[in-house]
Amino acid sequence: MSISRVIVALLLLFLAETSVMPLILPMPDRVIPHFVFVLILFSGMHRSRHSALLLGVGFGMLQDIVQYGHLMGPASFFMGLMGYLSGVMLEKKQVSAFTAVSVVLFACLLYDAGVFAIYKGFRITDASFEWAFFHHMVPSLLLQLLFAIISYRLAKRLLERQHKPSGEIDEE
Amino acid sequence: MRNKRMFMLMLGVVLLVAVIGYSLSDRKILTYPEQFVRDAASVAQGWFYSATAAVTGVARDVVNLKSLHEEAEQLRRTVAVYTRDKVHYNYVELENQRLQKLLNFTEEQRNRFNYDYVVAQVVAIGNDANNRTLTINLGTKHGVETDMAVITVDGLVGIISAVSAFSSTVTPITELAEESPTVNAIAVSAFGKEQESFGILSSYNPETQRLLITRISEGDQIAEGDLIITSGKGAMYPRGLVVGEVEDLRLGDYGLTYNATVKMKAKMDGLHEVMVVIPPKSVAQEEAADPVEADTDGALAP
Repeated sequence: MSISRVIVALLLLFLAETSVMPLILPMPDRVIPHFVFVLILFSGMHRSRHSALLLGVGFGMLQDIVQYGHLMGPASFFMGLMGYLSGVMLEKKQVSAFTAVSVVLFACLLYDAGVFAIYKGFRITDASFEWAFFHHMVPSLLLQLLFAIISYRLAKRLLERQHKPSGEIDEE
Repeated sequence: MRNKRMFMLMLGVVLLVAVIGYSLSDRKILTYPEQFVRDAASVAQGWFYSATAAVTGVARDVVNLKSLHEEAEQLRRTVAVYTRDKVHYNYVELENQRLQKLLNFTEEQRNRFNYDYVVAQVVAIGNDANNRTLTINLGTKHGVETDMAVITVDGLVGIISAVSAFSSTVTPITELAEESPTVNAIAVSAFGKEQESFGILSSYNPETQRLLITRISEGDQIAEGDLIITSGKGAMYPRGLVVGEVEDLRLGDYGLTYNATVKMKAKMDGLHEVMVVIPPKSVAQEEAADPVEADTDGALAP
């Protein structure tokens, strides 16, 4: 589908993860949604690494600007990097749902660890990595995996380019 | 090919460090593109947040129906105490005003603690675990500035960290850290012993979910169970805002001062409405702000 639809879908997801999910989820300080990030990883697989890079940097920057508390930059850097990497690995291949979900697993862990390393490096957080890992990284990871499994088919249809004849998409 | 990728990655890292360095500096005013993005996002977030809060609010009300009677009873008792205190307060206030007039207090000195409390709606909760933020729907147009305190009816929630025209970001006091370059420690004292106790609210331990007060001197009157309030002695944050309750008092690292662990009063999750504490403007600030205000008013009128 066209890139404008993808952007609208990502914007809606961004609103959902900041303004809807924190009120619905149990333990909102431990389970933290990163739905936009999951979709950016998918766009690396089903679209192209460059669009994943641009979407990652763009939506990361949106998150950085809107939630400016201490510093800006980590979200846009790691979202772009992870989107690009998922594209480099799986861009022109047939991706099974299992591969896609395991990519989401590793990418989420890397993203959380990278962002944590930056905050730790600039001494903004005192927490230890072990604590952060079990306190919010693992519970959020489970939420992200759940979202990835639920949204996989829909995301594939949303993200794939239109050069296929439309009949083939309907068959899915 | 590989070299080009490596080069781009290095460029990205350099850019990241540059952006972090720039954003870590003490910025009072955001650039216009940032303000525009934040305001636009906050409007949309406001719709979603209020809709969700309405739905979850109904569900929570149904659950809380049982405890309603108990709560009403408690409130009735509080009102009785409040009316008694109010009479006493009026006498003290009048006496205080008379004495201030006798002692020739200036207008600025007299109004120093007349804070404005402005109600704001929360529109979003940040989804970064290391950078917990709340977004509220008030900005510079409503008189909000950076470093103002944000409270709920229970107590201090956080400090405004960034402001744009119609929205601002609150950094909760759970983000306090001893060595953090971005959050300032808050001067506090114990309720009822404001003159005899003083400490620095310097960090929050997420593992035990307790705040830490350091640099309490040896002869201090502070004790376990005391209510901790902001002291206003740093002249940066307002005085008299409830922070929490002392749970534990022990000797500090070097044995010269005491540290106290404090349980926070304000609840962080499910926040819907908060209040921004706006201190009265000093004479110098008002003089500096007046021409600008007149200018923007003129520009806004069609």
